Amino acid sequence: MLPRPLVRSPLAVGALVVVAAWFVVAAAAPLIAPSPPLAQDIANRLAPPGPAHWLGTDPLGRDVLSRVLYGARISIPVGIAAVALAVLLGTLIGSVAGYAGGAADEGIMRFTDLMLAFPTVILAMIISAALGAGIRNAVIAIMVAWWPSYARFARGLVLAARGREYVEAARAVGASTFRVFSRHILVNIVSPILILGTLDVGHAILTFASLSFLGLGPPPQIPEWGSMIASGRDYLVQWWISTFPGLAILTLVLALNVVGDGLRDALDPRLRRL
Amino acid sequence: MNLAAYVGRRALLMPVMLLGITLLTFLISHAVPADPVAANLGEQSAANPEIVAAFRHQWGLDRPLPQQYLIYVWRLAHGDMGMSISTHQAVAADLGQDLPATIELAFAAMLISLAVGVPLGILAGVRRDTAIDQISRGSSLIGVSMPVFWLGLVALLVFYAWLGWAPSAGQLSPRLSRPPAVTNFVVIDALLAGEGDVARDALSHLVLPALVLSAYSIGVITRMMRGSMLDVLGEDYVRTARAKGLPGLRVTLRHAARNALLPVITIVGLSFGGLLSGAVITETVFAWPGLGSYAFRSATSLDFPAIMGVGIVVASVYVFANLLVDVAYAVADPRIRMG
Repeated sequence: MLPRPLVRSPLAVGALVVVAAWFVVAAAAPLIAPSPPLAQDIANRLAPPGPAHWLGTDPLGRDVLSRVLYGARISIPVGIAAVALAVLLGTLIGSVAGYAGGAADEGIMRFTDLMLAFPTVILAMIISAALGAGIRNAVIAIMVAWWPSYARFARGLVLAARGREYVEAARAVGASTFRVFSRHILVNIVSPILILGTLDVGHAILTFASLSFLGLGPPPQIPEWGSMIASGRDYLVQWWISTFPGLAILTLVLALNVVGDGLRDALDPRLRRL
Repeated sequence: MNLAAYVGRRALLMPVMLLGITLLTFLISHAVPADPVAANLGEQSAANPEIVAAFRHQWGLDRPLPQQYLIYVWRLAHGDMGMSISTHQAVAADLGQDLPATIELAFAAMLISLAVGVPLGILAGVRRDTAIDQISRGSSLIGVSMPVFWLGLVALLVFYAWLGWAPSAGQLSPRLSRPPAVTNFVVIDALLAGEGDVARDALSHLVLPALVLSAYSIGVITRMMRGSMLDVLGEDYVRTARAKGLPGLRVTLRHAARNALLPVITIVGLSFGGLLSGAVITETVFAWPGLGSYAFRSATSLDFPAIMGVGIVVASVYVFANLLVDVAYAVADPRIRMG
């Protein structure tokens, strides 16, 4: 099922195992976490890592390990959802622009150029601040900030596909514009876009954690990695509060990027040298 | 097409882009459901219709949107970005004060990324598939996978709290006062005022945040430089140079690396936007008094004039940086101008 060069690289296989492990953690957090993520052990607040609390406790005496494990339940779905929405919107807009051509194309693409002129975190920050903090709004913010790059990519693919013989053939036999677009062009550009999207999930998780760190994610009691790191800012000496959620982000995103790297190598031999 | 015409045509597009940026910023900051009245007046005053009406009138919030936009652009053309609702100062003045700190940080980070990324990329390309290549690949991947805010905290923990090598967060030690403002770049102002110790203190505060911020772009530049090196090393003229018996290092640096640098120029321009994004987060971690801290404060208090000012300035800096990159590219590679 997996492309063979991917399986042959031990690094990529290792990364795949790490990603799979995080998915399992996300699914099974209630079963494997030593305590509920909101349970407070006030007598043991700010306890360093030890036998009672493997990764220590935070200022409210909550178990850091449990909260890190529960954090996967938020970050993974959010990363996937944000990319999926941005891919959907970007593909729709970009492929319509590419297929329509002319003034519509020009207008849409200049608009995406404008959107691309805004650094994504700043754009996402403005949007999620305006909509209000929260997981849903952070996802919307990432979607709004990211769709233009997918639109540009999809448009390029449509332009390339539009000139192919099979499209001309479909048109020649009298297929409607909509049918040509949906049955002949769209299906042929879907897989490169999906691959690009898959490569971006790690980046989306990182961006979401950044927004959350800035206070634009879920409310502080929710076990989310970015806000857990933020809660450790005032406790530099109690290093475990922010170190472990940070390691969680790093391992997951790094593994996703290594898998993505291997995927890119395996699927596009021309890029293998890069 | 000659160089002047190319630059001229690119420069002509700038005002159009900038106008578009103002429109987009305006739309984003007004198309949202949030109400700046509640965010700025506080609950008690927001319950009083008279105060609310006065507030809306004072800030022009009671006029139709197109009119608000036209007024905004008209004032903008005269260098007036409006008054910040939360700081009660002119947004242009606020930005003039905060932008240099961010540019200082982003510029230092860019220098570090180039100084590390280019040689590392060359080395990885030349010694392909060796240990050094694997290490450079691994560290680039770690660099782009690292949450920058976390890296900042860990860096503060290790180098400030544990080892005591780095100064605490902030732009200057609290015991020092800012040098007289000329450029608002603290290091430059201190040098202009002849205050060597202040300049040294400012530089030492700059090192840690700049290193943290550069983690991402080091990764990007290393990968790009390596790939570009591999492309160039396969070219005929490199083989010819080798066949002529030129020393290996000379071929690597003069023939290959110089040409391989070209695509990297583009990436430098593009990653400048990423640096500005990263700067926002790095600044909040290091209490750096720059645009990022300002953007964050104004976004959370729904201070529309300030948000729009930040958006416009940042997007303009980005567009301008890319113009510079394109021009640099055209200077370096005459073929571009023909296209």
